[in-house]
Amino acid sequence: MSVTDRPVPVPDASSAGYWEATARHELAIARCSACHGFTHPPDTVCIRCGSIEPRFTFEPVSGRGIVKSWTVVRQALLPGFEQDVPFLLVDVELSEQAGLRITGRLLDGVDTALKLGDKVQVDFEDIADGVACPAFRLATS
Amino acid sequence: MSEFAARNQVAIAGYAQSPVSRRSPMSLGALTIQTTREAIADAGLAVSDIDGFTTTPMFPSFGSHSAEDGVAFVTANWLAQHLGVIPRFMENPQGQLPAPVALAVNAIHAGAADYVVVHRALHNPVGRYHNSTEQEARGREQWGMPQGHFGPIAAIALAYNEYVQRYDVPENALASVVTEARKNGARLPWSYWADKPLSEEAYLAAPVINDPIRMFDCDIPVDAVATFVLTSAERARDLPHKPVYISSYTEMLPKRRLIPSLWPYDGIMEQGQQNVDQLCQRAGVSVEEIDYLQVYDGFAPLVYFWMELTGLCGPGEAHQMVSEGGIDSDRAGSPAVLASGGSLGNGRVHGTAQMLECYLQLSRRAGERQRDVNMAMACQGLPNSGGAVVYSSEKY
Ligand SMILES: [Zn+2]
Repeated sequence: MSVTDRPVPVPDASSAGYWEATARHELAIARCSACHGFTHPPDTVCIRCGSIEPRFTFEPVSGRGIVKSWTVVRQALLPGFEQDVPFLLVDVELSEQAGLRITGRLLDGVDTALKLGDKVQVDFEDIADGVACPAFRLATS
Repeated sequence: MSEFAARNQVAIAGYAQSPVSRRSPMSLGALTIQTTREAIADAGLAVSDIDGFTTTPMFPSFGSHSAEDGVAFVTANWLAQHLGVIPRFMENPQGQLPAPVALAVNAIHAGAADYVVVHRALHNPVGRYHNSTEQEARGREQWGMPQGHFGPIAAIALAYNEYVQRYDVPENALASVVTEARKNGARLPWSYWADKPLSEEAYLAAPVINDPIRMFDCDIPVDAVATFVLTSAERARDLPHKPVYISSYTEMLPKRRLIPSLWPYDGIMEQGQQNVDQLCQRAGVSVEEIDYLQVYDGFAPLVYFWMELTGLCGPGEAHQMVSEGGIDSDRAGSPAVLASGGSLGNGRVHGTAQMLECYLQLSRRAGERQRDVNMAMACQGLPNSGGAVVYSSEKY
C-alpha cells in the first residue's frame, strides 16, 4: 500500500459507492434506475432520460476503453504529484457506452507512444489508507 | 421564433482601456473607478448620467486564493457604490462578457436604464495562478484531482491534442498563432506586451506546460480594466462619437456535466456551431456578411476552433491557413482575426480586447489599423461555454 500526499476524495451522497468500489480496485459507474444508462460523474438529473430521481446504483464495468486524447502533465499543480511529474494523463471513453469519459494517469510510463483509439484497461493507484483512484494501462489484448 | 426586438436599438457610446500590467500600482478597485470615469467622459457624459451597471465579476483562477470585491474582482454594486451612484439597474451575471452586454442591451431597450456602464476588471493574484494546495478533493473536484487531472491548461491540452491527432497538425503549429497575436499586441500602447513581439525561436524556447501546450499558448494573468458605456441608439446619436450598434449576442453552456477540466473537442465544436447559428439568427444575417471577426485566444488553440466555426476555413484547416499567413494583419484584405492582439497579445483581459477592437473599427477610431468594415463579431471564451456579440456600424 503506497501512501501519497495527494488530494484525497471526500465521498458524498453522490459518490460514496464509487469510492467504495475503487478502494476494492473495482471500477463501478453510476447507472440510472429509470433508463439504465451510465453517467459519469453522476448528476442531480440523469442526462440521458431526464429523471430527477435517477437513484443511481454503482455498477461494475469492464474497465476497458479507448484513448480519446492525452497530455503530458509536466508541472505538479496539486500537492502530492511532485515525484510523479512528468506523467501521461489519458482521456478514455469506456466501452460500455459512447461518450462515457473518464481520465487517469497512464501507468505504462511517460514515454509510451499513443494514438487515438488505443485500447486501455483500468488500473488503480492507492493514494491513502483505504483510498484508491482510477488509472490506466495499455490493454494487452 | 420571434425577431430580436433589441437588434441595433442599443449602441456603444464610449470606452476606456486601462494600462495592462502584471501588478497595477493601484488597487483593482481604484483602477476600475479611474477607467470608468474616463469611459464616461469619453462618451461625453457625467457620472451622474449613469443609471445602470453590469459586469461579469468572474475571477478565473483555479488556484487557492482568497477573493475580495474591489481587490480580486469588482462587481457592478461595488463600482456603483464607489462612484457614488444609486443606479436603477445593477446586475452581476456569471459567464463571459456577452452576458453583461446582453443584460445592458435588454435593460436599455426595456427602459430599465438609459446609460449603462459595462466593465470588466481582471486581477493577477500573488502566488501561482492555478496552483492548488487542497488536501481534500470535494464536490466536482473529486472526479479529477485524485488522479492528477486539474486545471484549464490540462483541459485545453486534451482538447487540442484530440484536434492535432485527428487532423495531423504539425508539431508547434501554434507558434504562428502566438507570434501573430503578439505582433498585433506589441503595437497597442496599453498592452502588457507593448513593443514586445515574440519570435518563433522565443516561443519554442519557452517550456511545454501540458503537451502540446507551451507557455506562450496561454495568456498571462494581469491587472486590467476595460469599460464601455452603452445607451439607446437614439441617445447615442447626440453624443460625440459615432455609435456602434449591438446587433446580436449569444451565450452558451456545455450541454452536459463532465469531469472538471475535461472539454472534449467534439462537444466544443458541436455546441460552438449552435452558438454561431443562434448569433446569426438573432442578428438576422449570415456569418458571411460579418466582415470583421475577432476570435478569442485565451488559449491559442481556441483561435483554430473559432476560425473553423465562423466559416473562415473548413474543419481541421485553420492551422494551415494561419501558418500560411492567412490571418496576417499586415496583408491587405486578410481576415485579421487577431488584430485586437487578443489575450495572448494583451494579457488575460478575458474578451475585452475583441470587444474593444470591434468598437474601435466600427466607430472609425482604430487609427493606423482602421479598415473599411461594417459588421464585426467579437468571440469570447470557449465556443461551447462562452459567447459572442455582433456589432454594426449602421442600423439595418
Ligand atoms: Zn436515466
